[in-house]
Amino acid sequence: MPGFLERIAGKLKSYREPGYYTKLDHKWTMVIDLDKCNGCEACVVACYAENNLPVVGKEQCEKSRAFSWLRIERYVEGEYPDVKVKFIPVMCQHCMKAPCETGCPVYATYHNQDGLNVQVYNRCVGTFTCATYCTYDVRRFNWFTYKWPKPLEAQLNPDVSVREMGVMEKCTFCIQRIRSAKDTAKDEARPVKDGDIKPACSQSCPTGAIYFGDMQDPESVVAKLAKSPRRYRLLEELNADPSVIYLKRVMGDGTSSHE
Amino acid sequence: MKRRDFLKFIGIGGVGAGAGFVLGKVSKPPGAKLIPYLIPPEDIVPGVATWYASVCTLCGAGCGTLVRVMEGRAKKVEGNPGHPVNRGGLCALGQSSVQALYNPDRITKPLKRKGPRGSGEYAEITWDEALKTLAGNLTELKSKNESEKLHLLASPLGGTIDRLAGEFVSAFGSSNYSHYGLFQRKNLAFANLSAMGTASVPHYDIENTKYLLSFGADFASTWVSPVNYSNGYGKMRQGAGERGKLVQVEPRLSLTGASADEWVPAKPGTEALLALAIANTIVEKGLARDASAWRGVLSRYKAKDAASVCDVSVERIEAMAVEFARTRPSLAIAGDSVSSYENGVSGAIAVNILNQVAGNIGIIGGVMPNGDDLGNGKKIDFGRKISTLISAANAGKIKTLIVYGANPVFTTPKAARLEEALSKVPFIASFSSFMDETTAHADIILPAHTSLEDWGDDFPDPGVAAPVASLIQPVVGPVFDTKSLGDIFIELAKAVGGNVAGKINAPNFAEYLKASWKGLYSRNREMAAGTLGFEDFWNKALQRGGWWGPSRKRTATVSARAGEHLAGTPARFEGEEAQYPFYLIPYAQTAYMDGRGANLPWLQELPDPMTSVVWGTWVEINPKTAASLGLKEGDMVNIESPFGKISAPVYLYPGIRPDTVAVPIGQGHSHYGRYAKGRGANPIEILPFKEDPLSGEAALNSTRVRITRGATGERMVKMEGSTKELGRGIVQTVSPSEFKRMKKEVV
Amino acid sequence: MAPHHMSDNQTGNAISYKEVNDDVVRTMTETGKWYYIALAGAFSGFLAFWILPWAYQIYKGQGVSGLNTPDFWGIYLTNFVFWIGISHSGTLLSAILFITKTPWRRSIYRSAEAMTFFSVATAAVFIFVHMGRPWNFYWTMPYPNQRQLWLNFQSPLMFDVFAISTYATSSMIFLYFGSIPDLAAVRDRVTGWRKQVYSALALGWRGTDSEWHWLFKAYTFFAVFIIPLAVSVHSIVSWDFALSKVPGLAKTIFAPYFVVGAIYSGSAGIVTLMIIFRKAMKIEKYITLNHFDKLGMLLLVMSLLWSYINVIEVFTGWYANTSAENETLIYRMFTTPYAYMFWLMIVTNTILPLLFIFKKCRTSILACLVVSLGINVGMWLERYLILTTSLPRKFLPYMWHDYIPSWVEISMTLGSFCFFAMLFLLFVKLWPSVSIYEVKEDIGIPMRRGGGHH
Repeated sequence: MPGFLERIAGKLKSYREPGYYTKLDHKWTMVIDLDKCNGCEACVVACYAENNLPVVGKEQCEKSRAFSWLRIERYVEGEYPDVKVKFIPVMCQHCMKAPCETGCPVYATYHNQDGLNVQVYNRCVGTFTCATYCTYDVRRFNWFTYKWPKPLEAQLNPDVSVREMGVMEKCTFCIQRIRSAKDTAKDEARPVKDGDIKPACSQSCPTGAIYFGDMQDPESVVAKLAKSPRRYRLLEELNADPSVIYLKRVMGDGTSSHE
Repeated sequence: MKRRDFLKFIGIGGVGAGAGFVLGKVSKPPGAKLIPYLIPPEDIVPGVATWYASVCTLCGAGCGTLVRVMEGRAKKVEGNPGHPVNRGGLCALGQSSVQALYNPDRITKPLKRKGPRGSGEYAEITWDEALKTLAGNLTELKSKNESEKLHLLASPLGGTIDRLAGEFVSAFGSSNYSHYGLFQRKNLAFANLSAMGTASVPHYDIENTKYLLSFGADFASTWVSPVNYSNGYGKMRQGAGERGKLVQVEPRLSLTGASADEWVPAKPGTEALLALAIANTIVEKGLARDASAWRGVLSRYKAKDAASVCDVSVERIEAMAVEFARTRPSLAIAGDSVSSYENGVSGAIAVNILNQVAGNIGIIGGVMPNGDDLGNGKKIDFGRKISTLISAANAGKIKTLIVYGANPVFTTPKAARLEEALSKVPFIASFSSFMDETTAHADIILPAHTSLEDWGDDFPDPGVAAPVASLIQPVVGPVFDTKSLGDIFIELAKAVGGNVAGKINAPNFAEYLKASWKGLYSRNREMAAGTLGFEDFWNKALQRGGWWGPSRKRTATVSARAGEHLAGTPARFEGEEAQYPFYLIPYAQTAYMDGRGANLPWLQELPDPMTSVVWGTWVEINPKTAASLGLKEGDMVNIESPFGKISAPVYLYPGIRPDTVAVPIGQGHSHYGRYAKGRGANPIEILPFKEDPLSGEAALNSTRVRITRGATGERMVKMEGSTKELGRGIVQTVSPSEFKRMKKEVV
Repeated sequence: MAPHHMSDNQTGNAISYKEVNDDVVRTMTETGKWYYIALAGAFSGFLAFWILPWAYQIYKGQGVSGLNTPDFWGIYLTNFVFWIGISHSGTLLSAILFITKTPWRRSIYRSAEAMTFFSVATAAVFIFVHMGRPWNFYWTMPYPNQRQLWLNFQSPLMFDVFAISTYATSSMIFLYFGSIPDLAAVRDRVTGWRKQVYSALALGWRGTDSEWHWLFKAYTFFAVFIIPLAVSVHSIVSWDFALSKVPGLAKTIFAPYFVVGAIYSGSAGIVTLMIIFRKAMKIEKYITLNHFDKLGMLLLVMSLLWSYINVIEVFTGWYANTSAENETLIYRMFTTPYAYMFWLMIVTNTILPLLFIFKKCRTSILACLVVSLGINVGMWLERYLILTTSLPRKFLPYMWHDYIPSWVEISMTLGSFCFFAMLFLLFVKLWPSVSIYEVKEDIGIPMRRGGGHH
């Protein structure tokens, strides 16, 4: 009994150590260079292919129930002929102070030791709270059980579970790729190297606009890019502390020198 | 799925993939044997992915791919990071090739027509019967001495399969082997042939250019080699050097235009004149580098004349000219807004001249001409047009037509009366794997593998100013009872016999391909470097996805001879302006391209990047124009040209000239599987049947239309809620000058 | 129980004790044709409009509703909040009025408390209706399990689980405790199976002094306990919304706003119910115009409070002057169809109740019915608007998407009213719906005989 109490006391003490809650094994971070992104949506299809996202059809799309974990938002400014069009890929921002995580009553979504905001499909009871709390509208719900007409199901990625009706899902930063890279590194008895992990979107990007890596590694590409003066984060004023960093697009101020 | 079934499936896939890779016997139907997993095939470990290098064949760019295979199933197609064309990236269309492989609407067996032509009623037959029927038809043709009446129409194939098909046709005694596709880029090839002596698209070094003047080249979505150019674009914007600038000249702001620093919405059909006026201004201002041959011709194209014709101010033309000439290196590319007209060759030549005058040809960051590095001797036969085929069919000069890959029924205008011509062809065979509109006219269908099940090779055109030879290998066993395209030709040759069988005497296409590469290997000594003979080279090439050598710099001069083909007038549009007030711009949509992507569910559900519309066709209309016509977003309208009428819902698009409407190509299929069939409208239907007389390339921007309110029909579904950012700082920007300052501070 | 004077007599006419017992027991034993028709109607409505569509939804998935991305909350949660709101005044009112010794409470509090319990039940079912996997509802409870899964006590939904279950339990006990003497009175008057049931329920109540003493203590304890509980329950319900960051939902004023709204709608619910109840059960002499006069005053006060907070809510949104808040307000107040709903809500909840300034209106059954019904419609709309005009206009305009309820959702909304009516109909038959002993307190000591209260 005293041993048990000591253990509890020890645990409580460790909780009080400074940085206990913020200390992570990794802090996976994505950097997206909006000056490179040309909106081609290759990443969107890559995400569908990698993560077994179902195709829901026109009627469900009309109800805004498409499954794209990653979407390219497009904003238009001005009128003809001074039209400015801007793209931004938006996926789960893996916020360090995620609004969704406080909402879930059953811890189906929580923050793991890799700095990822993870979703446990099996634990989800479908209260929708995470999705309504999400300030980036990146959560997708399984409104039905979706079917793949034969033999399309042969394409499904065995590393990613096919979700059932009634659970919430979202971008995972391709956690299966992170896992497999970590496993490989472990097999080779070395730490995970920068560049070992490329989520599907980053891998497919024709312009190379999406970077991925560990922010805790000061030598990583993302850590260096994160220092860019063009850096900003989406809706930063909401203080969700997202792990996706955008680099501002370079764009004329609309008054072309030629007019 | 039960566990037992699951293991069984693994076994089946394993046999298929193993056999496909090791033996090349890809025609063995799956499930012939179940091997217990005590001794699994070498390359199959449950739960561990195997990656095969191959080439994407969904468009002509020839991007290298790595296909992830697990338990004998293709899971994902990714860009091959080592491949010089795409360097790891892959577009939406290419990544969907797994959905083509596992498409539920594939033709699963050889078919024989049951109902009337075009009805799509077929009966399943065996391969023996199918080959016998087609061979019988060909033998009969031969015995009647009508060999010349065999026509083979294929998509623009490349590499060894193209040679095999050509050999088959010529050994049979026919000279009628033609290629057809909506975007063959023959205008560019022809312009380069007349200007620089090679009938190929050069390598545009977007990566290193500092000023990219694009005449409607939508390289972010589908134009020529999108992944290669996009990769270059990324580096041009945020690479090691100074940030390059992109200026887009086009009547409708394309996906690429959306990323441009400046958009110049010149009047449709006049862009070539704008290019010449810019060139002339460069000459007049004494900024030209090499204009000796062109001074005279260019003097006819004054900026101030062009200004009113093109609807671009003189100041802007002059500013563009100065910037284009002064920024080093600069690059002009001839995209759809100069080359998709009836005088597309002329437009492409105009852009060549502009590059020549500014001194951009043969330099890093400019136009880098491609040559026949590997000695393939491939030539584009500009004389073979779809119009020649149609008139031959009408004249009864085609007795047997074999179609593969091309879908001219969908991609030619109704005005071409292709279906009528096809009805005069007594026997049509298709090797297509999908029931497309043309295949639906076939009397017999011998379904070929998709490229993930088949052997092949590819020599990318446009090249990347370096020798590249890529290999396609079967990554999985055949999903259905289909055959390798090459094997169909080889087995057909055997069945026909005679000199055809004598000429093509390989046991199967895999061997034929290997032999062909042996020739390549012996011709090109540099391939031997670092290899222990051909077998070693072959294995390495299979592993890497091909072979590629170091960059070869070539230069060329646009010869004055090209001036013969300069039209000097704006391109003509059919239809009187009074009756048909709007220019129609049909354009290749990012996902569907020329319609080939419409049967892939991922692409149907992929929001169009500019409009966010899914699962349908739309008409892009300037909001002001729509207001004057009393149209709201989503209203159904009829788009009427002198040649026909289609209807589609309105999308209000501020990025389009008020006198222009644009409709994406790709939907409006009457066949082509459950995802494509009966959805949207096909704008090609209402075009006039026009080809560039020199190159034979289809002229897409060639008619005016009128817009009338239509009956209610298909609803438009778009994914966007609002296009307005409302000052929320979602996509933040910095101005170029601010960016320059930032860069200095960092350094 | 409580000291009283003749002037406290709320029932007006002189009624004998016997008459009270007779009248109340009569409502339980004599059953007319119309009762059965009404019960059958409510039951089949419950079955057809709620159970069947719900079964369909469970079978097919939440997709049969009109919910979408980003409108993950719609009518189901609207109904949940609405019914929780209705539940609020029953017990709360009863408790407050008991503690403040307000005499006019006596004849209405029993059915008001029942209303609380039934509407909490209805609301609770809506939690399950709106869940994606309702069969896993028990995962939201802290129960020991081998995998050491625990709950997220940060989640306002977790607070909800505890708050609502506590509230439901307490209201049930409160209702039951107050009913014990009456159950005993019924026990003494009925025969057959009823006798057995009520004997059990009455817990052997004999009416001794010490029994009265302890009952009074327990009852007072619960009355005191339930007031902060009720306030906390609706505060917590408001935090389901207010703890998000969604413009239009993330408001610090939400807790008082919801509590006030709940009492407001609950009181209006009582008024409506009483009007129907006294008419149907022919007990006009127990629930008199005097009651409506008092309830009308309460409604007027709540209306003013509610309107004040509503103005403040709009004002803070507007004063923040962020694009997100502005768009939400514009969407709510000036965009069809929500503008119609919003301004209708203002009419029914702010303008119409001003009629109650006049005693004439407070004592007119028709006016009471119209105003109270209006308030309930308005309060339903309020909850509906809070959700359906905030979620479709979140931070990223690309994802804006309107919410259109499906037939399943509308049907289940109707079904919930049927369910509530069914429960209430069963209640009036099985439970003394007017407090016999407390009404007797009102009547005062019969003239012919001196003595105690009973």
